[in-house]
Amino acid sequence: MIEAHQLRKCFKIYKSKKGTLGSMLSLFSGEYEEKNAVDSISFKINEGEFVGYIGPNGAGKSTTIKMLSGILHPTSGKVTVLGIDPQKHRKKLAQRIGIVFGQRTQLWWDLPVKDSFEILKHMYKIEDRAYQKFLKHYDDLLDIGQFLHTPVRKLSLGQRMRADLAAAMIHNPPVLFLDEPTIGLDIVAKHKIRDFLQEMNKAEKKTVILTTHDMDDIEQLCSRVIVINQGRKILDGTLEKLRTHIGLPSILTVTYEYLPKPNELEGIERAECTGRKCTIVYDRSKISSPVLLREISKWGTPLDIQMTEPDIEEVIQNIY
Amino acid sequence: MKLYIKLVSASIRSRMQYKMNFIFSMVSYGVIMMIDFVLLAAILNRFGQIKGWNIYEVGILYAISSISLSLYRTLAPELHEFEKYIIEGEFDSLLIRPVSPLVLLLSKNLDLSRIGGILQGILILCLSLYGLSQEQELIYIAAYLPVILVCGCAISYSLALFTATLAFWTQRIKDFQTFTLYAPFNAANYPMNIYPGWLKMIFFTVIPVAFINYVPMLYLLQKGGSLYFLLLPIFVAALFFYVSLKFWNYGIQFYHSTGT
Repeated sequence: MIEAHQLRKCFKIYKSKKGTLGSMLSLFSGEYEEKNAVDSISFKINEGEFVGYIGPNGAGKSTTIKMLSGILHPTSGKVTVLGIDPQKHRKKLAQRIGIVFGQRTQLWWDLPVKDSFEILKHMYKIEDRAYQKFLKHYDDLLDIGQFLHTPVRKLSLGQRMRADLAAAMIHNPPVLFLDEPTIGLDIVAKHKIRDFLQEMNKAEKKTVILTTHDMDDIEQLCSRVIVINQGRKILDGTLEKLRTHIGLPSILTVTYEYLPKPNELEGIERAECTGRKCTIVYDRSKISSPVLLREISKWGTPLDIQMTEPDIEEVIQNIY
Repeated sequence: MKLYIKLVSASIRSRMQYKMNFIFSMVSYGVIMMIDFVLLAAILNRFGQIKGWNIYEVGILYAISSISLSLYRTLAPELHEFEKYIIEGEFDSLLIRPVSPLVLLLSKNLDLSRIGGILQGILILCLSLYGLSQEQELIYIAAYLPVILVCGCAISYSLALFTATLAFWTQRIKDFQTFTLYAPFNAANYPMNIYPGWLKMIFFTVIPVAFINYVPMLYLLQKGGSLYFLLLPIFVAALFFYVSLKFWNYGIQFYHSTGT
C-alpha cells in the first residue's frame, strides 16, 4: 500500500561567511555541505496498519512524510503510495490521502471552521450528501459542531487539532499521514484525539502513519513502530520489539529531608545524589512505580517527589 | 473557476476581519499614488518631448506599464510575496491539495489596495488620450488597449513567476524583484529608444517589457511599426508564460521545505 525503497533525501547546506561581503561571495563560491536528511530508508506498509514513525528531532521524520505525500522530491530511491508515484501524480494522490501537520493548521486562520470545510468541499469536489454525512459523522466523533462557527484563530489548540483532523478526513481518504498531531495538547485533548485515531484505524480500516514525541501515543495506538535516527532506519517491528530494545526508562527526582542513604536495587539503572536531591533512572518494565516509591522512602524521608515520563528522543539517542 | 471565486471571496472575508487595517492601507496607498502622479506630471512637463515622443505619447506608455504592473500586484500579491512561503515552509500546505499551487496562490489573496495604482494609470491614460485627440484618430488605440493591457498583465505575471521560482534555490527573491520587475517596469514608463543598445536588447529579450507598451504603440501611434507589431505582445506573453510555467514546474522539485 505504501512502499519506500532506498529512499534518500539530501539537502545542500551552503556555507555562508561572515558579513555582507562574505555572504555575497558565498553566493558564488558554491561551497556546501551535503547532509542526508533521509538515508536509504526502505519499508512497506500494508493496508490497515497503524505505524508509529519515531525518532529524535531532526531524524528525518517529517522529511519522509513529505516525500510520501509528494511535497518533497527524493534525491534518489522510489516511493509509491496507493500505487501512485507521489512526485509525478501529486494532485491525484492528494485526492486520496489526508495529511495533518500538528505544528501548522491547514485551515483558513481568520475564517470560521465551517467556511474552511466549505472551501475544502469544493476543492476536493465532494457532493452535498457526502458532505452533510461528513459533518454529522465528525460531530459525533470529534464534537466539531460546538465550534463550527468560530474563527480558527479563536479556537483552543485542542479544538483546532480536532478541526484539522476532521478537515483532513473530508474526502474520506484511505491513508492518513499525521505529523505530531498531539503536540502541545493537554491530557484530555490527547485522549480525544487518540480515541478518534483508534476509531479511524479499527472501524474505518484506514492506514495511518503517525510521527510523535509522545510515548503514550505509540503505546496506545501503534501496532508497528519504525524508529529512525539521523536519517537511517534503526528499528522496524512491533511495540514489543521496541520495548525489548530500549526498555521503558523513567526518571524520578526525590528531595529528602535529610541526606539519604541510597541502596542498590533491581530495576534501578542509575541513582545520582547531590546533597539531599536524588535523580533515579529506572526501568518501568522491571520495577513498578509503587514498589520503587516504597523502596526509596526507606532511604530517608522524602519531601518532594517528581516523575518524568520517558523522553523517547533521549532514549533513542542514548541507545544508538 | 468556481473554486477560484470561492477562495477569493474567502480571502476577502478574512481581510475584512481587520477592517481598520484594510481601510488604512487603502488610504495610505492612495496618498502615495497621488504623490507619484504629481512627480510624473512635473517630469513630463519639463521634458516636453523625448526622442520624438511627445508628452501625451509618453503618458500612454507610462499608463500602460503602470496599469499592467498594478493589475498583477492586485491579482497575485501572494506570488509577489512568495519568499515567505519558502522561508516559513508554508508552501507545504499548498502542495497537499489536489489543486495546482499556482491556482491556490492566486486565489489566496487579492490586494485591493493596489487598485489605486490601476486608477492612477487610467487617469493618466485618459488625460493623454484627450491630449492626443486633437491631432489624430484614437479609435484603434482605444479598441486595442484591452488586449495590450491583458498582455501586459500576463507578461508581468510571467516575470514574477520566473522570479518567484528562483526562491526554490535562493530562498529570498526581494532583491531579484528589483532587477526583474521594478526596474524594468520603471524603464518601460518611457520609450525604449532612449536607452543604450545593450539595455534595449535586454528589454526586447530576457525581460520583454518593450512588448508591453512600446512595440504595439510604435504602430498605433504611427511611429514606423508594421501591423504585425500588434500581434507580437500576444505572442511574447504566451511564450513567456509558457516558459515561466515550465521553469516553475522544474523548480518545484527543488523545494526544501523547513524543519518543524
